[in-house]
Amino acid sequence: MNDTQRAIEHCYAQGWTDGLPVVPCDEEALAAVLARVDRDPGEVLLAMPQINRAVTVRLAAINAVMAGCLPEYFPVVVAAWDSLDQEGYPRKGIWQSTTGTASLLLVNGPVRRELGVNSAGNLFGPGFRANATIGRAVRLTAINALGLEPHELDQATQGTPAKYTACIGENEEESPWTPLHVDCGLAPEVSAVTALTMRSTVHIEARHTNVAEQLVADVAGTLRRTGALLHRTVSACVVLCPEHAHLLADAGWSKRDVAVALHEQSFVPREELDRAGKGAVSQKSHWRVARDHPDAVVDPGPDPARDGIRTMTSPDAVLVVVAGASNSGVSAVVETFGPRGDRPPVTRIAGVAAP
Amino acid sequence: MADGILLERQGVPAVSICTDAFGITGEAMARTYGFPGFQWVSIPHPVASLDAEGIRQRVEEMLPRVLDLLGVEE
Repeated sequence: MNDTQRAIEHCYAQGWTDGLPVVPCDEEALAAVLARVDRDPGEVLLAMPQINRAVTVRLAAINAVMAGCLPEYFPVVVAAWDSLDQEGYPRKGIWQSTTGTASLLLVNGPVRRELGVNSAGNLFGPGFRANATIGRAVRLTAINALGLEPHELDQATQGTPAKYTACIGENEEESPWTPLHVDCGLAPEVSAVTALTMRSTVHIEARHTNVAEQLVADVAGTLRRTGALLHRTVSACVVLCPEHAHLLADAGWSKRDVAVALHEQSFVPREELDRAGKGAVSQKSHWRVARDHPDAVVDPGPDPARDGIRTMTSPDAVLVVVAGASNSGVSAVVETFGPRGDRPPVTRIAGVAAP
Repeated sequence: MADGILLERQGVPAVSICTDAFGITGEAMARTYGFPGFQWVSIPHPVASLDAEGIRQRVEEMLPRVLDLLGVEE
């Protein structure tokens, strides 16, 4: 075994990996990464006092190196931690939950081109160092700094492949609409990252239509599936491929119009909920339960004329972004834990020039 | 687990209850809180899908162990 292999095996022996090999980090590599941000290495980025652990800038940097990040990626990683902290679910313990969530990092602005963050084909797949390692840096830090090891403090029943890495760019160049960070008040030339707690990524196969209403109805079918309903309602980030986005925009639809229509069409009749044993809500846990559960309350729906509920509280529960290749009608619904009306945690990326 | 440990440290007698599926996690949490020997009541999994009668049976089964850990003498 050579020195490189021995170093990698040492990291395995210490339990410092996600199962894949990590890049051993030394003081020189750490300093190169820390030099790219104007932040104190001891600054706490995200604290979990309930498990007596915290992520500092230094710990985030060590794990970024181990994940394979180049030093210039580190401002994105730090902004991702700021966004995760602002979003709130991870520090409240969602990464320990049986649901098995990951954190989707959505990158906007010029930094995508500067670092090579993929926003086009194979968006959620492999092949792009920035996407692969920036997302992985977050997971490795969760394991190594927060101690969220599977089978122990990470209790995920099944988890998701997105826990290895989940980092995408918005395809701003091929979108007919303004990008997410501009919608949230930042200038187009500013770069930003937005963290969203996610469960599943569900494909929408819709190559068959050029009718906007049909496309929206097809997407809505996924947003109202009962299997996603743990709590009373759900939320989603709808990642439209450029072809779908242009189909909608050419028919005069804005992103808001899409969100409004999807919310409107998220109606599930009560009998369908009852068939799945989810026709009511527990008063205590707010989980969906059957009507005959001792703690059950049947939640009122939006329409007195037909009994049922909408799976989303408002159009704000749907975030619409554009990403993927301009080669087919394949979009995705990312089932998220939020926002359900809150502003998404769009966080400015602030780096410093190379030394 | 954390709540039970924190209550005990505040001087409030407490017993943590968790299903056997979470035993390893419970031990990890107790270690995290510097209390590796913390004792709790482990009950069979699952709980979330039980009906009211099933819950009542679980409570009846666990109650002697809860009282035992609290140091209650009959």
